[in-house]
Amino acid sequence: MKNILIFCTVLLTGCSTVVPVKYTFPTVPEVLLEKCEALDTIEKPTSVLSELMKTVTNNYRKYYSCGALVESWQEWYTAQKKIAETTNSE
Amino acid sequence: MWILSYLPDFVTHIIFTVGVVGTIAGFVLGFIPFIATYKLPIQIISILVLSFGLFLEGGLADQAVWQLKVKEMEAKVAEAKAQSAQVNTTVVTKILTKRQIIKEKGDEVITYIDKEIVKYDPTCPIPEVAINAHNAAAQPPTDLKK
Repeated sequence: MKNILIFCTVLLTGCSTVVPVKYTFPTVPEVLLEKCEALDTIEKPTSVLSELMKTVTNNYRKYYSCGALVESWQEWYTAQKKIAETTNSE
Repeated sequence: MWILSYLPDFVTHIIFTVGVVGTIAGFVLGFIPFIATYKLPIQIISILVLSFGLFLEGGLADQAVWQLKVKEMEAKVAEAKAQSAQVNTTVVTKILTKRQIIKEKGDEVITYIDKEIVKYDPTCPIPEVAINAHNAAAQPPTDLKK
């Protein structure tokens, strides 16, 4: 029985054939890992119109910058996922 | 197959050839006196050697097929890495360009404010409640800070 088991092991060793090459998901570029900036507030109790407008403008700028970052994340992930799936599925 | 990693290819071919020659000798050349004396042992050993040689030859052929597949996969992975790097470059370039455009647009508006809106500062004071409302809207909800 022991010899049969050894014989079968030797024979079946020839069947363990797996391609040892696999595409790994890439690392995210550093620029996409930056956090969105916090919105500005006005610290003075009394303020002028121009200061309020500048703060609002800066906040809009931060919002659009953060939105662009999210869009880039989505674009990066979608493209990389497609590449990884295409490569590993074949 | 692990055994093939220790045996050079030519050893496999030699084992197979010895098995074939031995089998022919054992079964066909029985009329030769020396072979006739050891006919049965030659037949048994030759069949075993031939079987082992066939097994190794099969393993070699299978290994060659898989090595080809590995090479194909390595080529695909290299191509995928190139595509991935291209995507990285495109995405990073795009986000940096977008940020630059957003910054320039904001700078333009701030220049306009400094030039035109400041004129209304003396006549248009902002009440404290409006500032407080703005600041409250700009702060993230307390639950999100956790």
